[in-house]
Amino acid sequence: MNLKRPTIGHIRLISLYWSRYAVRSGSGLVYLLIALIFGLSVAHILIMPVEQLMARQEREMGHTDPQAIRNTIIDIGQPVTQWILGQKSMKEIIQQSAARQRSVTSDSNDTAVGVEEQKKYADFDPWTSFLLEKRPALLSAIFLVLLFGMPFVISFLAYNQVSGDIQSYGLRYLLLRTERSNIYFGRFLGTVIFSTAVVAIIVVTITFYLGMKTRIYPALALAGWAAHGFLALAILMVPYIAVCSLISALVDSPFLSLVLAKVTIAGVLLGAIAGSFAWKPAKYFMYVLPWGWQSNLLHPEPAHWLGAVLACLVYTALFLMLGYYRFQTRDL
Amino acid sequence: MSEQKRPGGLTALAVINFIFSGWGFIGLLGLAAFFAFIGKIPTDDMNEAQKTQFEAFQNMGLPVFIFIFALSLISSVLLLLSGIGYLKLKKFLGRMIGNTYAVISIVSSVISGIMFPSEMGGGFNIGTIIGLIYPIITLILLNTTFKEDLTN
Repeated sequence: MNLKRPTIGHIRLISLYWSRYAVRSGSGLVYLLIALIFGLSVAHILIMPVEQLMARQEREMGHTDPQAIRNTIIDIGQPVTQWILGQKSMKEIIQQSAARQRSVTSDSNDTAVGVEEQKKYADFDPWTSFLLEKRPALLSAIFLVLLFGMPFVISFLAYNQVSGDIQSYGLRYLLLRTERSNIYFGRFLGTVIFSTAVVAIIVVTITFYLGMKTRIYPALALAGWAAHGFLALAILMVPYIAVCSLISALVDSPFLSLVLAKVTIAGVLLGAIAGSFAWKPAKYFMYVLPWGWQSNLLHPEPAHWLGAVLACLVYTALFLMLGYYRFQTRDL
Repeated sequence: MSEQKRPGGLTALAVINFIFSGWGFIGLLGLAAFFAFIGKIPTDDMNEAQKTQFEAFQNMGLPVFIFIFALSLISSVLLLLSGIGYLKLKKFLGRMIGNTYAVISIVSSVISGIMFPSEMGGGFNIGTIIGLIYPIITLILLNTTFKEDLTN
């Protein structure tokens, strides 16, 4: 494949125009609304019970106890986090919950056994401990849900990078002034810029709210972890945008491109989960996209999260090159 | 003279306006029904939080109800009218009415937050921010991105 004279100046110009044009074209506006409402609703659902707990403490004790609130969040969040991270199966989590129930209800003779049993199941693995104890647990929980949910939303922004202009033959006018490579990579970059800006708005709003309203975590810890979460989310969006670039270059209908992007992103995950019930190795199908390892972006070990970042870049390069090859060789 | 082409974003904004306006009118019906039958709703099966919330609505009185109802009605009507204005690229019906909706909506959110108890949706929480997203986006877009389009 011959990459025909990609010009940095042209790519910069096209990407900046494309990121500004995103809202004007409608797809950016729809994405902006859906992403903001989704991100803030997730935060609302997770923060609301904590606020209710704080209000109850205020009512009953006359003041709030941040340590007690943090402990409650850890207690509730631990099994869910372990399940999301794949550290424990649902069966183990149910057994752990049952052991906890037994230790609460058993008489004094059985208490030692109950505590032992509970300890066996309740031991924190380093990853869960890092997310819930060493970092602001509430923000960790929000990031975990956003890491899972945002890939479903991104196709609303990235589905129509070139397919609409292929359909209307509008690219022919642009090609008089620049190369296909500049258009393809410029629009990809513009979409990444817009997506990163939206992720930044979501993370800043949530962090600012947590810091100013709930005040259960130190500001510095919140800001540091928010920066990490923002980078994780922003980087995770890049390979999914590249998938949409590939699909957009393959078809010449924006609607079909949107449907295919949705089906591909969700289908890989659902296919792997559903397939693994019938045939265990089918779970590896989710590695076709970053689904299988994307949680590693929040891993405590630098080797893990750097590996995840590198994998993101490899996926991105692969999908972009496949899309570019198709865009370069097809009739426009 | 060539006809001005409407940007996709403005069409999307109009469609969203119609959806929110429709929800608003349905909400108004629900609000009216709730206020009409509030004395007949059994509270025996409600938990403590639900009872507190219910009592807050029972005690709000007619003037507050009229205030909430009028604000919701005005917002829904403005959303509908500005949606039509966006589609027709009208300066008054689109830009002016759209801006009026956004300002009224932002002001009413702030007033509700200050005036009402948390049981009635008052106070400041992330829900308040979610409610402010659309009016703020409308205000920004109508005065920057789509400013030159709404000129008819």
